[in-house]
Amino acid sequence: MQSVNLVQKVIVFIIICLFSCEAASQSIKIGFTDYPPHISFDEDYKKSPLYQYINKMLSPLNFEIKYVKLPRERAFIELSRGRVDMLMPIPLENNEVKILSLPIFHSIPGLCFKKENFIPILSATHRFDNLTIGVPTSIPLVSALTDSKARLIPLKGENVTSRGIELTQRGRVDAFYHPSPIKVYHRKNPLYKEVACSYFHGYSTPIYIAVAKTLPKEVFDLINSTYEEAISKQSYEYYFANRK
Amino acid sequence: MKLKKIQESFYNKLFLLIVTSFFMCFQANAENTKVKNIINDITQMYMSSMTYIFKNQPLINQRSGDKSALLGERFIDNIKKTYQIKYGEEFPQVDHFAKEMLLQAMIEVMDDNKELLYDNEISFKGIIPATFAFQLSAKLATKGIGLKIKFTRTEDGIRNKLNRPDSWESSVMKKIIKTPKIYYDENALLHGKPAIRQFTPLPMAHFCLGCHGKPENNILNSGKEKSQWTNIDITGFEMENWTIDDFGGGVSISIEKSALK
Repeated sequence: MQSVNLVQKVIVFIIICLFSCEAASQSIKIGFTDYPPHISFDEDYKKSPLYQYINKMLSPLNFEIKYVKLPRERAFIELSRGRVDMLMPIPLENNEVKILSLPIFHSIPGLCFKKENFIPILSATHRFDNLTIGVPTSIPLVSALTDSKARLIPLKGENVTSRGIELTQRGRVDAFYHPSPIKVYHRKNPLYKEVACSYFHGYSTPIYIAVAKTLPKEVFDLINSTYEEAISKQSYEYYFANRK
Repeated sequence: MKLKKIQESFYNKLFLLIVTSFFMCFQANAENTKVKNIINDITQMYMSSMTYIFKNQPLINQRSGDKSALLGERFIDNIKKTYQIKYGEEFPQVDHFAKEMLLQAMIEVMDDNKELLYDNEISFKGIIPATFAFQLSAKLATKGIGLKIKFTRTEDGIRNKLNRPDSWESSVMKKIIKTPKIYYDENALLHGKPAIRQFTPLPMAHFCLGCHGKPENNILNSGKEKSQWTNIDITGFEMENWTIDDFGGGVSISIEKSALK
């Protein structure tokens, strides 16, 4: 019985070795989009927590990995043409995008106020009565806001976040909606002093790692299982919360 | 002779059946006790974190200074100390994934609030026991691990509509509101899946009354003439005029059976 077990173990070991050798020759290209503070293009992005988590996770696979920074508009084109094999972090707006099985983190939407008008608890929706709130037109809003008596006005322009901050500062709006205020409200942002943001807890959305359809199935499976194992050992969200 | 043999065989089988049933019953009881202990530990850990948040309102809301006691492993260490004082016993062993995930979620929730905690221009940060508890519940809901924790109350006394009781919680509260006691249901459902659920009623705490009590409990009114008192609490809600004898709601914990395996 013991010898059968030993033979089984040797066979599994050989398979793993063979697979590792094959994996060693695999090269992949990973695209990042700017998503501070998880991945920030304002500094060396290799210092960002998401890069470090992913790099550490993939290193045992001995892939030849190339990382690239991509503007959000171009990122999906690169992915769909197979010029990058993985792309992160992305909210799942398009069901046709292939993704790894688990979200990497969750984004919580919120409102950003001029500091002196800050409302910390957004479940107190009666406090929105008579407020004018700027909202981007391209994304869905949470029901807590649409069902409130706030006056919602569309934010126009190429950069709605900058526009929102500008209008808040000028007093033209009382607050503006952001799908992920953490991108704005963090100390590394020079505009941190201008606004304070609070969150619609309970309305979070998952953020994923997208994968090119051209990535071979066996490589996808290997990356996905490695990713699931990494998440079960220590989720990225917990890793992020414990960063120094 | 033959009849005697048949009788003997019958009694042997009956004895075996009784022993097996007894053993299975004993095993099921042991399993039940184990799950109940896990749920009780989780409830007390959850309550300890809320107590710690309440006791540290000055630190949370102060405009500057070191707030590392509210973050990471130091935060958990402080909750453990609070637990020891509150319940007069050692903090439970973190020997089950549900306990581990709860502690991780606590760290993640406080990290979500980190920028606000260190924002020197904001005085009231809105991180109070009830909002912390809700954030914790919302965080756990994203984990997809079949564990749900909720601090809830009867429908009429809910401020955050996302904290509304579900039908199981409503029916349990109806049963126990007059004589509060822990309600354990090993044959419940959660998201349509078999689950174990427990509702632990909580006595109204003095710290709840600062927001839910009468205007004299409102910290915004302290040191002011009665004529200047407001019935709007620090979070912006109208106070409910509850007293220390009112029903304090409870902690509802649900674990999918598949998650226990």
